[in-house]
Amino acid sequence: MAHCERASKPLLQCLRNTYTRGLPAIQLSARGFHSTAAVGEAQPDSQPFHKSPDPELVSSPRLERRLMRQGTTPVGSRRRRAALQGSANLPFEQLPYQCFQEARQVLLADRAEKLEEIEKMRQRIARVEALSPEEAGGKNSQKSRVHAMQQHLEHLKIHADINDPLVKRKFEDGQGDMSKPIYRFLADRKWREYRRKILVQRITQMNVVPDVLPHCEPTVDTKLYFNYRQVQPGDFVEAKNSISAPKLDVQLFERGEKLVTIAVVDSDVPNVEVDSFDYKTHYLAVNVPISAVNTKVDLSQLSAESQVVLPWLPPVAQKGSPYHRLSVFIMEQKDSQPLDYAAVKAKETDRDNTLLRTLQARYHLKAIGAHLFRTQWDETTLEVMKQIGFNEADVELRRKKVEPLPYKRRNPSSFR
Amino acid sequence: MLQPRLLVPLRALERAFAPSLRSAQQAYQPQSIFQRTLSANMAIPKVMPSISRPLLPFSQVRFASHASQGTANRHSRDPAGKRLGAKRSGGEYVVPGCIIFKQRGSKWFPGENCAMGRDHTIYATQAGYVRYYLDPERHPERRYIGIVFDKEAKLPYPRNAPSRRKLNMVGITRVEPVGAQPDLTASIAGVNADNTQVASVEAVNSEDGPQLRPGYMYREANWIIGRAAEKAGIFAKPYDRGNRWLAWRKRQARAERAAQMKSLKGKKKSSKKAK
Repeated sequence: MAHCERASKPLLQCLRNTYTRGLPAIQLSARGFHSTAAVGEAQPDSQPFHKSPDPELVSSPRLERRLMRQGTTPVGSRRRRAALQGSANLPFEQLPYQCFQEARQVLLADRAEKLEEIEKMRQRIARVEALSPEEAGGKNSQKSRVHAMQQHLEHLKIHADINDPLVKRKFEDGQGDMSKPIYRFLADRKWREYRRKILVQRITQMNVVPDVLPHCEPTVDTKLYFNYRQVQPGDFVEAKNSISAPKLDVQLFERGEKLVTIAVVDSDVPNVEVDSFDYKTHYLAVNVPISAVNTKVDLSQLSAESQVVLPWLPPVAQKGSPYHRLSVFIMEQKDSQPLDYAAVKAKETDRDNTLLRTLQARYHLKAIGAHLFRTQWDETTLEVMKQIGFNEADVELRRKKVEPLPYKRRNPSSFR
Repeated sequence: MLQPRLLVPLRALERAFAPSLRSAQQAYQPQSIFQRTLSANMAIPKVMPSISRPLLPFSQVRFASHASQGTANRHSRDPAGKRLGAKRSGGEYVVPGCIIFKQRGSKWFPGENCAMGRDHTIYATQAGYVRYYLDPERHPERRYIGIVFDKEAKLPYPRNAPSRRKLNMVGITRVEPVGAQPDLTASIAGVNADNTQVASVEAVNSEDGPQLRPGYMYREANWIIGRAAEKAGIFAKPYDRGNRWLAWRKRQARAERAAQMKSLKGKKKSSKKAK
């Protein structure tokens, strides 16, 4: 029995037997405190609950796991599901709480007001846009005015829905429709609360940001999957898991579609000759469309004729070398205009000597998302090296001996 | 120490209470009537100093000229110097682990290619040239010590420049981790074809005769030397605590040896002194 079930069991028992079977149940028969089932409730369903658990109501971890194995995710929090087990699941309008209903009326009135404002704002925008630049006082001022008004309109759209309990519930259940601004706003806020902070911390503490790109201000939520396993930013990935290209889940929080360039760069390729590190581009694809509703990007499924410039090269780390940071960058193309694939393909053929900084400057890209994983030598690396024909597979890196400083006697005999 | 100046208000207080005190004193003192009458008509003006004596036991003044002479044994309280400060100056070449600055607390912070030790000592993690610098973008007030690889390079590096690093590694042919040692012994220690158990002998030492040992000498292994007596059939006598003759001889030998060592020790000392 889950924690929340145990905690709420006595209360639920009471409620179940008195009123929560729904309003009609009260009128039919008001039962007192009984721990046995009522006569009407006694007839069992065709299938017991544990055989076919309901994702809305399941609360025991074992059943949840079984559901997830079947492919359906339980809805909402476990606590809420446990609470719902004993409730009649009435819609908000029928709930018999006077104060609650009054509060709902206030919220509804506020929403109606906001909708009116939205309508007004739309009309005003249309009016300003219809004006000629001379009438509006210059082209620039007209543009900035329209822009400010549109921003205000977006604010109003969010304010109209943000107090709606149903919206909140749907978002928490993961059923939010990302084509609507309110759900995008909520998702963005949630991402910025924790996951973005982690990501920014990882890419700055591991020095990805000055090493690979000078700046990166992530605005899209990026998740990375290898073999159906999510990789947290900065995780070590075994070489055998990264043989095939990862899948990305790029969540955009803005309206419209964007064309992005996706690059995976290794910034720690050891170079023994010059006693330093090199860069290597492990993947490069251009003109990848993403939008708020179309988030999944499978790097191995992108079209080889029109998108993939450099196909996936499995990352391997030589034995003894420091860990390799492989950074994934989602870069917005300028004005979402497609790049000339043939030209890019002809130009970017060298994996080793292409810096992402150069690409960024050459194609006017802007980094809007980032992710990071690391590789190091492990048991499976050698196999992968053989598979991809890595030519320095039998080289191991060892620390160079440090030449000590010449011994300088601090108190020579002449001092005495 | 009681400061006499503090007692000035006390003295005023005492003056205020003087009559009552006097009467109390008179009541308390067991004097003869004759004495009392004497003191009553003759000694009243002289009483004042006698009263102030129990309240003011110390009335010393420590003037500035006295204090400036210093306390006794001041120099004995001066602790030994801790040898703090810069061990390497700016621009000097250092190798990893080289201590650059010793300090109490973090007066200086480790910057590029430096680290801070347990006692806030700044030491180098890379070979290069020492730089003392400020990095206002990183922290407005901290002073940093860093290492640069080029003699002319300046710190801090630009904020968004890629970090300058060195590999400090050499490539060698990868060697498989050796799990081969137990296999060698197993080949020797095992069951023969005619089902007789062969004693397990270390494969490396199984060959007879002396081999090249550490220290460039050809000799037998230590464990073979240790078993030489066993091989020759020589065994130590079992200990018998009743054998006092043997015990006495051992004791004598030990005492003799101790005396010999003592005399040697003295000789050494004397020879050193002579030098």
